[in-house]
Amino acid sequence: MLSQFDYVKPLVLDEALDVLSRDTDTYILAGGTDLLIMLRHELINARHILDIKAIPELKVFSYVEGKGLEIGANVVVNKLIESEVVRDNYKALHDAASCLASYQLRNRATLVGNICNASPGADLPPALLIYNATVKIASKDGVRTVPLKEFFTGVKKTQLTKHELVVSVFLPEPGQDDDSCYLRQTRLKGHDLSTVGVACRIDKNGKACIGINAVAITPLRLTALEDELNAKGITEESILWAADEIKNHIRPISDVRSSKEYRLHMAGVLFKRCMMQLMDKEA
Amino acid sequence: MTHSELDQCTYQAHGNYESSYKHVGQPYVRKDALEKVTGQARYAFDLEMPGMLYAKTLHSPHARAKIVRIDKSKAEALLGVKAVVCGEDCDTRVGLYMQDKLAIATCETRYQGEVVAAVAATTEAIAERAVSLIEVEYEVLEPVRNLDDALAAKILVHENIAEIKHVEGVFFPQPESNIASLNRSLKGDPDAGFADADLVLENKFTLPAVAHVPLETHVAIVAADPFTDRIRIWSSAQSPFALRQLMAWSFNVKESDIEVHVPYVGGAFGGKAGIHLEPLIAILSRASGGAPVKLRMTREQEFNYLPTRAGMRGKIKTGVKKDGTIVASDIVYDWDSGAYADYGVNVGKTAVYGGLGPYDIDNAAIVSNTVYTNKVFSTAYRGFGHLETLWTVERQMDILSQKLGIDPYEFRMKNILRPGATTISGELVTESTGSPSDCLSAVVKEIGWTGRKSEEDRKREWKTGKIRGKGFAMIQKAPAMPPSTATAVILQMAGDGHIKMMIGAIDYGQGALTAMAQIVAQELDIPMEMVEVVTETNTQTNPYDWNTVASKYTFMGGNATIQACGKMLDQMKDIAGQALHCAPEFLTHGGGYIYNVHRPDRRVAYKDMSLGYAYPDGNGIGGPLIAHGICMADGLTNLDPKTGAGSPALAWTFGAHAVDIEVDVESGNITVLKVASAFDIGQVINERMVYGQVVGGVMQGIGSAILEGYKFSPDNVLMNPSFTDNKIPTMKDMPVEVVPIYIENPQLNGPYGARGVAEHTMISIPSAIGNALYDALGINYYHLPLTPENVALGIISGEKDIY
Amino acid sequence: MTNIDDKDMCAMEAAHINSKNRQVLLTCRVNGQVVVEEIDPTMLLLHFLRDRLKLFGAKEACGEGECGACTVILNGEAVTSCLILAIEAQGSEITTVEGLSKNGELSILQQQFVFEDALQCGFCTPGMLMSARALLDRNPDPTDEEIMEGMAGNLCRCTGYQQIFNAVKCAARLEREELNRS
Repeated sequence: MLSQFDYVKPLVLDEALDVLSRDTDTYILAGGTDLLIMLRHELINARHILDIKAIPELKVFSYVEGKGLEIGANVVVNKLIESEVVRDNYKALHDAASCLASYQLRNRATLVGNICNASPGADLPPALLIYNATVKIASKDGVRTVPLKEFFTGVKKTQLTKHELVVSVFLPEPGQDDDSCYLRQTRLKGHDLSTVGVACRIDKNGKACIGINAVAITPLRLTALEDELNAKGITEESILWAADEIKNHIRPISDVRSSKEYRLHMAGVLFKRCMMQLMDKEA
Repeated sequence: MTHSELDQCTYQAHGNYESSYKHVGQPYVRKDALEKVTGQARYAFDLEMPGMLYAKTLHSPHARAKIVRIDKSKAEALLGVKAVVCGEDCDTRVGLYMQDKLAIATCETRYQGEVVAAVAATTEAIAERAVSLIEVEYEVLEPVRNLDDALAAKILVHENIAEIKHVEGVFFPQPESNIASLNRSLKGDPDAGFADADLVLENKFTLPAVAHVPLETHVAIVAADPFTDRIRIWSSAQSPFALRQLMAWSFNVKESDIEVHVPYVGGAFGGKAGIHLEPLIAILSRASGGAPVKLRMTREQEFNYLPTRAGMRGKIKTGVKKDGTIVASDIVYDWDSGAYADYGVNVGKTAVYGGLGPYDIDNAAIVSNTVYTNKVFSTAYRGFGHLETLWTVERQMDILSQKLGIDPYEFRMKNILRPGATTISGELVTESTGSPSDCLSAVVKEIGWTGRKSEEDRKREWKTGKIRGKGFAMIQKAPAMPPSTATAVILQMAGDGHIKMMIGAIDYGQGALTAMAQIVAQELDIPMEMVEVVTETNTQTNPYDWNTVASKYTFMGGNATIQACGKMLDQMKDIAGQALHCAPEFLTHGGGYIYNVHRPDRRVAYKDMSLGYAYPDGNGIGGPLIAHGICMADGLTNLDPKTGAGSPALAWTFGAHAVDIEVDVESGNITVLKVASAFDIGQVINERMVYGQVVGGVMQGIGSAILEGYKFSPDNVLMNPSFTDNKIPTMKDMPVEVVPIYIENPQLNGPYGARGVAEHTMISIPSAIGNALYDALGINYYHLPLTPENVALGIISGEKDIY
Repeated sequence: MTNIDDKDMCAMEAAHINSKNRQVLLTCRVNGQVVVEEIDPTMLLLHFLRDRLKLFGAKEACGEGECGACTVILNGEAVTSCLILAIEAQGSEITTVEGLSKNGELSILQQQFVFEDALQCGFCTPGMLMSARALLDRNPDPTDEEIMEGMAGNLCRCTGYQQIFNAVKCAARLEREELNRS
């Protein structure tokens, strides 16, 4: 590692925000599973490392019935998997968390880190997008909240500025009779990045929500397809129609992980399987 | 529980295997286990030396480029930097079979990843920083991208191919071409055979380069004495004696000036045979005043810089009669050896005698071209070309049986090698050669083969989204080695009767230490805990072994060990004869004693002779017990350059895999439900470890079959030089069940009848899975790997042949 | 090489030193023993254990968390020490393979690795053992799927995994039996 940095581990949020406002070449360290790889591969040159793990506000992991679930920047992915709240109310997030990386990495990797890294193929965003997740962002200038859908701006890019950090992600209460799941294709059964991953939700009003990764420069929520599908009503026939139609709503590329053709194909297959799974459970 | 208590725990051998010997064939726990489960085992990766410097390397980003200028000055100015070297500082040539490579690229780089400069510094961090300060200006040239480019020979990877020093009469570089060696074999009259055939089928099968992926990357420490020619090496090498010889060649010094120490090695699989980092580090050490310099490859460097299994294309033409008799076979293997062919040419050569399959074919011709391209270079990898050649042959056999409408099992059995037949090299097959048909019958029975699935069955299963398929394939492999390959072992007895044994081979997990100890225990009739095989192999003290490669060590080391034990017994009988006043021919041994056959109470304990025998009055006879044993390969010859005729095979280990798979018809995911693997290994030496070879090899074979492979950009830049995108199977990717089957038709010149089994276990797993995929889908796939993507896109295409 | 003349050297000898060098004091407990070391904040936990404490059990085989050879137990959790800064372990409890056996006797888990022949070259073994240890600590009776989930982050190229799987499964049973006895 060529970076030569100092290390700050504040105990209060204000101090962290001070550091961020002062030193622009500061990198935020929570789990470090992406940051350390970037450092070790010389993809970034850090002068200051800001370890946020001791900040109490960022440890929040609380569910308020009727309101929703707040997941702080320090909550690691294995905690999501172990959470009954997540499993019972946000099944797709449970599924996505369960297949992210390996057990050891999930002991360090955080949900907020997964969205801040902004990989187009990240596993958690599709599951968060279908729940209309919002991102709470803090800086010296105050706190702002943005929808996750708008948070991603490109490959490995977000609207987070150098002076800001993500405090938490909020998932609104889905309510009764809401179900979701996440399925993905990988090159092997062991830990791998998604070739393509699809999260589907049928909400309490019977409306479908669709999130997908690795088919565009950011993880996507396919609202236009949702509208068309919901207008048709969710039936086996309309699901099959949408499974074929989905290819017109995504723009995958060919890369070392997969060809464009296979991603287009699997987007439809995984969408169909997600929806059929939800339909079967309903029945 | 202690180590020896664990030995006494009841171990349930697979297939209820039982040995008739007291020690040989018993499933002892491995000798090296204790050190490895406690973190005490030291690998070259762990070693530190007083005054040690750390090296880092700079690699070419271009597949083919001229090095216009290198500016080392900024790197040299960095505090703590002891040496910066590049191609112009040395002209050290490196190579075993073909000296076609320089320790550091000079003037021209031939693959992306080739080292162009290196640094030695007091810390790894300083070395890393120094490397980042080296400036290199390249003139990028058009690369030789693939086999077709290479064979067209418009651009030559090596302009001076005719001048490259190589083993003459064995390898045949073709002037003004990119062919590093053209080898051929010929038996009978293929043209006449094809004329006689009812069906002639031509196909082309391909597979990409695949990485060895030892968990320990290549690492070495070298200290080159600036005042003498002495070079000391501590390396993760799998062949210390070959390394000694090759270092001596490279530096033009005496072999005896080179000293190689090999501690535990963290996996090798062929990738650590020959010579790799050591010359480069020796240059750095010399430039640094002789300090020990350590260089360890990162995983990325391991993929980019160090050799791989060659990609291969097999063009096969087979002539058969209606009844299934194969009357002619004509095969061309083209090996994409990358920028260098040092070891690769030997894989290519091996294909001309190992690449026909275990079949009795009267008319056969094989041409094998080892070809230069501008890619990372190739070397030996577990299977030594046989996984690739049998991907060609065993898929072709399956497709032929489809065309003929004959059951693939019956078709193979009709043509299989049996006693009385000859191989393509003209070797006579005898009862002692081993039985491929026993292996095939066993695995076919184990998976319950009842014939191919019908189209109706496929259609019915298709509706469930998942289709099962069964397939099988044959395996054959003999050690690929020079005819005069030799090994030696030394036994010394300590005062307490313990044996300290030294071998020249490396135990990188295959179990050589344990297997040899068992043979000593068997021959001398002493308990296993009385035998210790020294774990660090060191050319200063250990006896010679050619290379720890080729699955030959159980055979050769085993024979040498039996011989050494015999000599030690002779020495003891000689002493005991004097002590007991009886002729040695009336003495025998057992339980740690030499005793009179007629009066067992007239005896002398081994330990009482170990350092010399002392009479009651103190007078001594004999002396410290030391014995050595050797094994020279039995009856091998070089091959005729035109016909490939000769005697290349020390021992053919035949085998067969049968697999039962399930295919997801939408995603293309393959789940391997069952693998049955049979090998005619003559005699099991240690069931625990043979089982380990089988399941480990099967898993590597599954990697080659459905997952692994190098991917290059249009500019021949490796796109997947990391575990993120160059995956190997994980525990979740295990087959549901692996059933090992040990066939024991003894080879009469092998130790207790044993043949090697190591590489063999990975060979033909891809072929068996490819054949099972046809059974499931009715689609023939011709290219590896059979990834979910390739399988699914094949299904979607609606084609029946997927290239 | 760097040019420093004698005059420079004399000036340096006389100069006042006020170190603002980037060093931090790390205090943690490793295999039950308190360790206090001054380190550079860029040092990785894996390198701290190996280079500073000379605990060579944990290995580096990829440097990006993909292979698990560097797995150690940090505050009860299996982690890849190649992606953790040493200073992140401030105040933590760390267990490495060297801490698995007590009083020269192999733990049940280590015994089962030996007995099942769950190792060949042995390079992945320390990491495998630590993943298995953490798994059995949090789940003494894992299902087959849970064993695979807990162990799949550790790559092995030699064994084919079956023996490792068997060793973990047997160790779980024997550890439960031992617990019931005591």
